[in-house]
This record gives sequence, C-alpha cells and structure tokens, in this order.
Amino acid sequence: MDSVPIDQMNDADLMLRVRGHDDEAAFGLLVSRHQKPLLNFFARSGVQYDSEDLVQQTFLRLYRYRQRYVATAKFTTFLFLLARQVWIDELRRRQRRERLAESLAAEPHEEFAAPADPSAGAQGDLDLARALAALPEGLRQVVELAVYQDLPYAEVAGILGIPVGTVKSRMFNALAKLRALLEPEATAAAPHQGPAKGDRP
Amino acid sequence: MNLNAHLSELPAAEAAAFRTLVARLQAAPQREPAPQLASRILAAVASERTQRPTLNAQPITTNHKPVTSNYRLWRWAAALAAGLLAALTLFDRPAAPQPADPAADPAAWLAASQEADGAWQPARHGGDPAYRPALTALAALALARDPADRFREGVRRAAAALVAMQAADGAFGGEGRVRAYNQAIAAYALATLAPHGPATAAALERAVAFSRAGQSAEGGWDYEAGSEGNTAVTAWQVRALAAAAERGVGQANIPLRKGLRWLRGAARSEGGVAYHRGSAGRSESLSALAAYTLMTSGRSFEGLPALGRNLTAALSAADGAADCYRDYAKVMAFESAGDTARAEAVRTGMRHRRQAGAQDPWEPIGGTLYTCAFTALAARQ
Repeated sequence: MDSVPIDQMNDADLMLRVRGHDDEAAFGLLVSRHQKPLLNFFARSGVQYDSEDLVQQTFLRLYRYRQRYVATAKFTTFLFLLARQVWIDELRRRQRRERLAESLAAEPHEEFAAPADPSAGAQGDLDLARALAALPEGLRQVVELAVYQDLPYAEVAGILGIPVGTVKSRMFNALAKLRALLEPEATAAAPHQGPAKGDRP
Repeated sequence: MNLNAHLSELPAAEAAAFRTLVARLQAAPQREPAPQLASRILAAVASERTQRPTLNAQPITTNHKPVTSNYRLWRWAAALAAGLLAALTLFDRPAAPQPADPAADPAAWLAASQEADGAWQPARHGGDPAYRPALTALAALALARDPADRFREGVRRAAAALVAMQAADGAFGGEGRVRAYNQAIAAYALATLAPHGPATAAALERAVAFSRAGQSAEGGWDYEAGSEGNTAVTAWQVRALAAAAERGVGQANIPLRKGLRWLRGAARSEGGVAYHRGSAGRSESLSALAAYTLMTSGRSFEGLPALGRNLTAALSAADGAADCYRDYAKVMAFESAGDTARAEAVRTGMRHRRQAGAQDPWEPIGGTLYTCAFTALAARQ
C-alpha cells in the first residue's frame, strides 16, 4: 500500500491509515475529497446557514469513530451514515421540526412533506430546489444518496437502514413526484402508474 | 443495483423521462465550500486529538498494532525526522539567508514576488487567481508589518493596486463566496494601508457602502446572502469598518457598532466562538480572530476588550497541525492581551511545523502567497 503515493490512495486505504496510524495527511485528503459532497448533502437537506458546521461535525465524528471503520465497509457508506446521524442530531438539538427528525428513521409519511407552493405548482414553475424541498424526507434522502452521491442501492439501504426494495420504491415515488412538480403538464397527460411495490397508502 | 439499472427495468418512455429528470438534478449548481472550511475541520480534529481519546474503540485483532503503540511510534518517527531535518539544516546551511526564500524571510519573498502593477498573481505561486484581491491585501499587510520598514514602497504600490481593482459598487472582485472573502480582507487592507488623499477616501467610501449593503439585520456578514452572518467574514468586516472609521469615514460607524454587537453575541460563556452564532462547533481560529477584533476594533466600547481577553484566555498555545491563519489570529490575540509568552509559543510551533515540512491545509488554494503572508503577519515586530 505504501508504494502508492498517498494522494493517489483510495478512500478506504486512507481511512485505514487514519485508523491505524492517526495519519493527519490521510485525514486531510479525506476532508479535501469529501467536504463538498457533504456540504451539498446538508444544503439540500434544507440547512441554509449551518451546513459547514455540520460538515465539520461529520468529520469530527469520523475521527472519533475511526476505530469502528472496517476495511470491508465502503468509505462513503461509513461517511454518509455519520452525516445522516449528524443531521438527525442537529434537528433534535434545535428542537425544530421534531416530527421531521422522527421521519428520518421511519418510512415516509405524506404529512411530513414540506408544503409546496400551490400557485407555483399550478404554473409549473417550481425550480429544482423547491421541488426537492417539497419531497417527504424519506424520499428526498434516497434521491440525495442515489442521484447526487451516486451510491449503489445496497449502500443507500445500509445508510438509511431500510431494505433495497424500499430504496427502489422510494426512488420511483420520488422521481414521479419530482416529475409531477416540475413537469405538471406531461404527468397530467400520462396514464396513472399506480403505487409502486412497497408504497405506503 | 444502482439507479441506472433500476431505470432500465421501467417502461422505455418512463425511463427516458426519469433519466432526463435525473440529468437535470445532477446538473444543478452545487455549493462550494468556504475557503477556510478544510483548515477549520483539521484544526478541530487537531484539537480533538489532544483533548480526548478515541470513542468506541474496538480491539483490532488483525494486522494492526494497538493504537497507542502506533501513536508512540509515529511521534517517535516524527521527532527523529525533525531531528534529522534540523541536523541537515545545520550542516547544509548557506552562508547567508536567501532573500527570495519564502521559508527564510517570507516578507522579502513577498516583496520579490510583487508584480509590476503592485498586485500579486496567485497563479504564479500555486494559488487560485480568483483570490487575487484578498491575497494582494494579505501580502501588503504582511509587508507593512515588517519591523525594519523595508517595504514601504511595495505597500504603497499594493494599496494603489487595490484601489485599481475596486469596481464602481465598491467590491474588489470575484463572485459569490470569493467576492465576500475578497471584499472583507481587501477593504481592511485599504483602510489600514492606503495613503491619505482623495482617491483613497473615495475608494474607502465605496468599500464601506458595499459592506453596509451586505450587512445582515442582525449585524453580521456571510458568504451567502440571507444569512445572519458568520464569524470569519464578520470579524474582517468589523476590522475594516473600524479602520475606516478611524480615517474619518462617517458612514462606517453604525455598521461597525452593529458588527461588534454581532461578535459579542457570538461569544459563549465557556470562552469560545463558533463559525455561526448558536451552532455547536467551536473554532479555535475564529475564537482567536474574534478575540483580537474585540480587543482592537472594539477597544472604545465598554466591555468588549474584556470579553476579548476572556476569549484569549481560553485559547491554547499548542497546536498539532499546520494552520497559518489560526496561528496568525492567535499571535495577534495573545499580543493584544499582553501575553507575549504564549504569542511566542505559537510562533515557535509555526517554525517547527514549517521546518518539518507540514503543509498548510489551505495552501493548495492560497499557494505560497497565503502561507508567506500569514507567516510574516505572525512574526515578531
């Protein structure tokens, strides 16, 4: 492993150096590679101004829990698992939207969806950010991890603690809802698809 | 299975529509991390490293030795490497310091690197050209701090270059976060260094007007519009406004008071400051910067210097990882509080890390200009 220059090592090898040797340079590289995806993960979660603090908390937690990392786990799975925990803790800490925090650990419920602007929806001019914000939290996190972070469904399932089949159904529902918000005319003309397998009523 | 495979299972028309939607989502612009974010994270981890053991450590039974053993070995190896480096330095030392060696004399290196127009070009020295105004400002501030006053002409040329960079709205260049970073530091340098005269006065008026327009209702500034502020940008803006007010720019007084009030509200009872008010994290760099700002820019306001001294008392003088920005802020805070011993301890740590070849986390973006400027700014006067 040491024959590879450190800046060319993969994330798992860097994390093993952090775990085994408390290697500052390896940790710095992990920060450099993953700060932006994490920042956008929190920003798209609806954190407007504290997302950089949450990124810092996630890396601090990564350092504290470094001994829990095992080589068989993909690094991004480990990192986003921690990020999700930071996000849940932040919601609880602020004591804001407590029900939303609960929904992160449960199946999606429609009542947790942020209300979309009905006039904007009728005019079909919702932008992407607003459409994402209008998704229930459980659906939005699947989009975040599978679309923006490009993680395989098995990893998404591992991070969210749900079966792969549920990841599929949430993804289908999320894309259908986004399409309905962003392209209302197209979806109005399309035949009703019916609920995907595993959907909640 | 991944998203692509999932979409392939759907009917062709639906899959095509979803693929278009996914492409649209992925093409949406992303936020860029603040320039100091990586250094803040590494500083927080360095602080963690010295303060607490690993949580939830589990025994490692495979090829890895116990952490404590490896850690001791690592420290021993680092000490050995530092010793070897010191020995090599002694035996292979040139007869006289190289005037353009950034490690030997960062201020002289900065002076030698100044461009004909008075500015500095980050791209020539491993930095991002978008930060030319801020890096020019930092370099100029570093030259102005030279105890022998060797670079007076360079400072004058740099101040003129900053005035030339300024746009009609008072900003110094860049977009978004880059613009906010450039504005705060360039405005401070201009207010501190520029010679008196009508051109400087007009530039300062414009810079202060731009700062006023960007101040939040709560009194702070941030990289993004709509935020109540963050400590890093607010501290630099407050320093700029205080310097402008001292030069007679009347419109600086109200935003200065509001900015100081914001900083006062950022300080916590236990003696720390976070990046954002009310957030959980504590930043050693920003605690030092806020402390220094309260003691200097807030020195005419009741209670603020004492608050700055309290924040300074909670700072540590010993840090593990390289971070010129943090070290500069600490030196300034300790000196302002009259704690010259701890200021010197920070300088010693900087010197040792530099000799050991430690890289500043922000150097990949700021380049040598950045590290040299903060190193020179932290030097003893």
